[in-house]
Amino acid sequence: MTQPILELRNVRASYGSIEVLHGVNLSVGRGEVVALLGPNGAGKSTMIKVVSGLLRPTSGQLIVGGRDVTGAAANALARAGLCTIPEGRGIFPNLTVRENLLMATYSGHKLADIEESTYARFPRLSERRTQLAGTMSGGEQQMLSLARALATDPVILLLDELSMGLAPLIVAELYQQVAAIAAEGVSVLVVEQFARTVLGVADQAVLLAHGKVQVAGKASEIGEDVLAGAYLGS
Amino acid sequence: MNEDRIQTFTEEIGELKLRGARADRERWLLILGGLGLIAGVGLAVFGGFQASGTTVLGDQIAFLATGTLIGLALVIAGAALFIRYSIARFMRFWLVRLVHEHRSETDRVIKALGDIEAKLNK
Repeated sequence: MTQPILELRNVRASYGSIEVLHGVNLSVGRGEVVALLGPNGAGKSTMIKVVSGLLRPTSGQLIVGGRDVTGAAANALARAGLCTIPEGRGIFPNLTVRENLLMATYSGHKLADIEESTYARFPRLSERRTQLAGTMSGGEQQMLSLARALATDPVILLLDELSMGLAPLIVAELYQQVAAIAAEGVSVLVVEQFARTVLGVADQAVLLAHGKVQVAGKASEIGEDVLAGAYLGS
Repeated sequence: MNEDRIQTFTEEIGELKLRGARADRERWLLILGGLGLIAGVGLAVFGGFQASGTTVLGDQIAFLATGTLIGLALVIAGAALFIRYSIARFMRFWLVRLVHEHRSETDRVIKALGDIEAKLNK
């Protein structure tokens, strides 16, 4: 088995004196989609913050590409290829689609190349290239945020609540794109409150509740009873 | 994704500079604010007493400038830090309490539903 590209080892994290993560472990392999599931307040978004370098763990290790990078700056991790799509999409609503893509050229890629790959992957964005991003539908905005992330040529992609506020059909379409991205070799850690939408494309699943990993294993082996137990606390 | 990209990624990660261990910054700033507040009050009172204990104008100005004014500045800065971090802690505990109550409420509802189901199945 190859070395995981991303690992959390016994990570504890807190906001001030309140501990949110109580010693969690996580492993993401190359080209793997790992779903991080759990109810509200389970600590999923905190885990994403720890992985992306936005929140320093109080103890434990963050291992990326085989190196302990606990305490590394978020911008340095992002520059290396660890890309986060935050909850709420993180696009520039007052800029057009094209201008949003222009913002991704900081990574050193040409706008023409970014546009070409984006419009090939999301043809709908091609029709909207001069439209203000904030006036597009939620699904199209999420496509744009995915496109901006992919323009940076990420090795690890962190997705926080991709399905938030979107219709189930759009969500299914977006997760097909996520599966395609993973098939190209990008490792994806996706936080999702609605388990069923992501388990179809995930290789592994981790169920988090009250800041602890309750269940971790193959996504196909996570049954309804396990999900109900974790979400309802029974 | 090709091996070169993975190789570049691993190399860049290997070159990352890491920050040293950091203690609970918020707690230390709260303590610092409290200490600043106390020291500021002490310094202001001390400067005031010293200034009133002399009739030499030059000495009075010096006592007020080095004691009272610096003391007042410390009081303002210390109080700002103390209030800022006290409110943050209070709000966080309040939020945790809300979450805890919400969970307890959910547990009670689930238990009640279970009881109803059990009675219906009898």
